[in-house]
Amino acid sequence: MGIISFILIGSSLVFPAVAVWALWWAGRNGQLSHSDKAALLPFDEQEPVGRMTDVVLNRPRALVSGSGRISS
Amino acid sequence: MSTPASPSVMSALSPRDTAESRDRRAELAEIDESTSGTVLLFFLAGMAWLLIGTLFALIASYKLHSPEFLNQYAWLTFGRIRTAHLNAVIFGFSAEVAVGVVLWLMCRLCRVPLMAQSVINAAAIFWNVGLVIGIGGILRGDTTGIEYLELPKYATPILFVAFALIAVWTIVVFRFRRERHLYVSQWYILAAVLWFPWLYSTAQLLLVLEPARGTVQAAVNWWFGHNVLGLWFTPIGLAAIYYFLPKVIGRPIHSYYLSVLGFWTLALFYNWNGFHHLVGGPFPAWMITISIVASVMMVIPVVSTAINHHFTMVGHFGKLKYSPTLRFIVFGAVSYTISSLQGVLSSVRWFSEVAHFTHHTVAHAHWGMYAFFTMTMFGSMYYILPRITQREWPSERLISLHFWCTALGIILYVVPLSYGGWLQGKAMLNATTPFLEVVQGTLPWLKIRTVSGLLLALGHVAFFANLIWLLARRFGPYRQPEPMILAGVTPAAPVGK
Repeated sequence: MGIISFILIGSSLVFPAVAVWALWWAGRNGQLSHSDKAALLPFDEQEPVGRMTDVVLNRPRALVSGSGRISS
Repeated sequence: MSTPASPSVMSALSPRDTAESRDRRAELAEIDESTSGTVLLFFLAGMAWLLIGTLFALIASYKLHSPEFLNQYAWLTFGRIRTAHLNAVIFGFSAEVAVGVVLWLMCRLCRVPLMAQSVINAAAIFWNVGLVIGIGGILRGDTTGIEYLELPKYATPILFVAFALIAVWTIVVFRFRRERHLYVSQWYILAAVLWFPWLYSTAQLLLVLEPARGTVQAAVNWWFGHNVLGLWFTPIGLAAIYYFLPKVIGRPIHSYYLSVLGFWTLALFYNWNGFHHLVGGPFPAWMITISIVASVMMVIPVVSTAINHHFTMVGHFGKLKYSPTLRFIVFGAVSYTISSLQGVLSSVRWFSEVAHFTHHTVAHAHWGMYAFFTMTMFGSMYYILPRITQREWPSERLISLHFWCTALGIILYVVPLSYGGWLQGKAMLNATTPFLEVVQGTLPWLKIRTVSGLLLALGHVAFFANLIWLLARRFGPYRQPEPMILAGVTPAAPVGK
């Protein structure tokens, strides 16, 4: 039980410590600020804001581009 | 922005990494192509487990109201088949599809092609070998008897190695990301891949390898049982919703601050929730009270997430008509709110004293794991698969059949069983009611459950058929010479707003 106790106590200290470090790191690196910029991260010039990227059902023909490729 | 990276390490991890590519963010098509083989491996293995798990579920459900069914076979008795179902859908389908979604999302949000492919493929193989051995062991009668940890102890080290590889891979991708800022989905994913090995290894050590006794055993069991849902599947489900909801409708998340608040409050409060399953049990009352307080505090992340999702969708509900991803994701997001708030209610003593140890708890678990998580994973697969195969979904009818069978099926499962479970709990608290009468009173609800299971099974078969058809278009003998028309629309197109 000695080794197991060591592992359990160690991990129960290490994981919360990692969580605290992650919060500290996030604050220090600006991850908790610039929220307007962060909200835009799923978008880019290929798939910009304002563009619906999943039109599969009931598709109006006029909205379909003719490039023959998925939008990515 | 790029992050500093060691070229030699990067080159070793990713054959596509070159001096030229290192400083630029990868193109989406390049990322999708790089993830194709590995993500498909996880998705196909997950789907195979879903079909197997669904068959096990139907047998187990039917046995609940017709116990003589297939009772001549030891390996198909209720105790084994129900346990095999749970492990096939939790660690087979849910975990593997979740990892596939995590791989794709991390590469896209970190703006890197898939690196260290052999490591992650090895993890997939290890995971499935472990599961085949483990679920085979359960059917042979080798279960540990501990909820959510039933896999025999000769199988679990293989799963642990597989998951350790996945966790290391995720951290490596994060380290070599080419987008400096993190999106909230990455927070959820990174936390989930760190939480799960911790939960799993601690629970294995304390419950299976060197079992603790008495109160500690119950505490660890429910610490693990509740957290494997809340700190592993829930963060990945929320990561997917936070990515696909804005992405599909083309609108940023309503409030990024709320999303970060939701993440950190979930991280702070969820870990304490599990002991509320022991209300009324031989367990220290103060520990249960702390757990109930933490469970009620979960209102903060749940409501902040619900507000965020709702206000992101406002004005865009018309787009549900066009996007299968959006249908499943919105269904999942709404179910997250409902099942979480129901979970808060279930933690309170007066409610729990009636509802726990009844079918009400089973209904609640399916609300979370199916209506929220599984539907969210289906939605994610609808988005990812056409992009990694460069082919569109072949059949709109099969998509609609899949959605309506699973949506109506899970509602038919959860609502009657929740009510029936509540009646069961009230009857069990009445000392004048014979126990056999209580059991007989559950039969109508259990029969409805079997009907709902058939609906869910039909939906799964429809999805699998569409998936195989999609792959046949890409790889099979009837492959199309050119990809079909694309799924996206031009920026100016006013779709369904």
